[in-house]
Amino acid sequence: MDTAVDPAVAARRPWIRRFVAKMPWVTRFCASWLIVIVAAAVFADLIPGLADPNYQGFLFGDGATNEGPGLSHFLGTDNNSRDILARIVYGARVSLTVALAAVFMGVVFGGFFGSLVGFVRGKTDSTVMAVVDVILAFPGLVLLLTVVTLLGRRDLVVIATVIGFLSIPPYTRVARANALSISRREFVTAARAIGTKKRTILFREVIPNVLPTLLAYAMVNAAVIILLEGALAFLGLSVEPPTSSWGTMVNASRVDLQINVWPAIWPSLALVFTVYSLNNVGDWLRRLRSVRSAAL
Amino acid sequence: MIVLARRLVQLVAVVLAATFLTFTAMNTLGDPLFNVVGFVAAVDCDAVEAGEIEDISGQGGTSLGDCAVVAEAREEFHLNEPLPIRYGRWVGDLIRGDFGTSFKNRMPVSTVLADRLPKSLLLMGMAEVFAVALSVPWALAAAYRANRAMDRASTIGAFGMLALPNFALGVILFYFFVVKWQIFPSRFEDDNLAVRLKSLVLPALTLGMPLAATYFRLLRTDLITTLQEDFVVMAKAKGLSNRWIMFRHALRPSMFSLVTVFGLNTAALIGGALIVEQIFSIPGLGRALVEASIRDDYPVVLGATVVIATGFVAINFAVDLVYSYLDPRVRRES
Repeated sequence: MDTAVDPAVAARRPWIRRFVAKMPWVTRFCASWLIVIVAAAVFADLIPGLADPNYQGFLFGDGATNEGPGLSHFLGTDNNSRDILARIVYGARVSLTVALAAVFMGVVFGGFFGSLVGFVRGKTDSTVMAVVDVILAFPGLVLLLTVVTLLGRRDLVVIATVIGFLSIPPYTRVARANALSISRREFVTAARAIGTKKRTILFREVIPNVLPTLLAYAMVNAAVIILLEGALAFLGLSVEPPTSSWGTMVNASRVDLQINVWPAIWPSLALVFTVYSLNNVGDWLRRLRSVRSAAL
Repeated sequence: MIVLARRLVQLVAVVLAATFLTFTAMNTLGDPLFNVVGFVAAVDCDAVEAGEIEDISGQGGTSLGDCAVVAEAREEFHLNEPLPIRYGRWVGDLIRGDFGTSFKNRMPVSTVLADRLPKSLLLMGMAEVFAVALSVPWALAAAYRANRAMDRASTIGAFGMLALPNFALGVILFYFFVVKWQIFPSRFEDDNLAVRLKSLVLPALTLGMPLAATYFRLLRTDLITTLQEDFVVMAKAKGLSNRWIMFRHALRPSMFSLVTVFGLNTAALIGGALIVEQIFSIPGLGRALVEASIRDDYPVVLGATVVIATGFVAINFAVDLVYSYLDPRVRRES
């Protein structure tokens, strides 16, 4: 084991190896998966031997629909005889972008506004929360339809932005709930007592303590969002076909679910691995930095 | 009392803002006239009347008769008036308890809501009961021995539950419990409460599983944070039993995120759950809302928006009250 290596020897290694040496093996596996999936999504066009994700082999007499996993198609083919592996790799682009947009906008804007109003309370609180309720009550589908109609296009940027925007209110509520309780804790009172500026308390005391819960919410939310994008595709409202995404793939598989379950299983597995890996690596990164053990 | 009055004002403001936005959005989406009279809406009736376009009755073309229908529909739904006036008219009707009439089948929206809402509410209630009953003991067990084998397995299990799409889970449950073993009815049955509850068991499980996973993750995270606090160390030092510490000391202050997300999900589920309603043939609000949104049937969308907005404000009020119960320190210093 690397932990048994003499510290003097370990210190001479390049930093990246020292970094990796501290990782438990599960975390190494998770980090590798994340690197692989992101790299594959970015460089999908350059991967040798990867099939065209939209090539429907059965139309040209090579390959059949709903093939099981095999040598010609590692993960099999879907009900349009398209290569599932290729569709998962290209689909990662849409799924990861949408999930990232939701998590980023939710954590940054929702986290900031929620922490702010949970800390200062009063009129700011009731105003911001009323706006949040309006956004929550406004049917999301109608918003999406309106934006798509007004802009006249339905590409990844539009979908990711709308889903990201709609993610802000729930994160605001979760951040506020935790900020309410944290603002009454001893260390905040202590900071007030020694005359720390409000802004400093917000950024140095409240937000860092809201973040673990918010990130835990982000992880479960990311999985939900990836599937939600598939539900939108089911209504014909996501990124235009034949562009693939994990959610879309899972959703499209329902037609032939009795014949062939693989098209539903593979993207679901990719989703589980990705979300779990994010969780695991995030947890590990936090544990590196904090004295108290992280709860992510 | 003052708090209640302030909340009522907030409720009215939220409902008005949400419905006004919805109203504007629905009217920019498409011509509602199209939904009332169909393709005839596209006919340039002024031109027909002026004789510029030939009147080809009965050949799928335009006719003066069709134009009379169009004019009548415009009159009936006040579609000639400018948008703010129509919105004002809708609000006025709403205050008198009139939700308007659906464009689709000319049914009063209040009838549609009264028919659909109870089913969605019942489904929501069952799903939430299931999710909470599963997630709270599960999170307590996992957080008690954090990062041990059981906790790690739970984390993977929870993400598995989240990643399993609800239609796949729904179809699997449907196959075994309805088709193979014939334990539950294949569609929603509405005879009495027992039958209703029975036909909602599977949909509630389908909806509840991802909810349970979400609640589990949030409660576990917060529990682990709470268990590192000084008062827990103190309780341990006093020699209190672990069970007592988990239930009486740690659980309550750890429930902020859980209660918040519970409130969000509950309010969202008032609006129904499209896919689950479709798999199990439940005539709930979710299907009505999605169909109405796509068809520009805005009276129905607006009616549902009123219900959902009221739900959000009411539930968030309740959630705020629960916060101060969970942690007395949160109470307003007044």
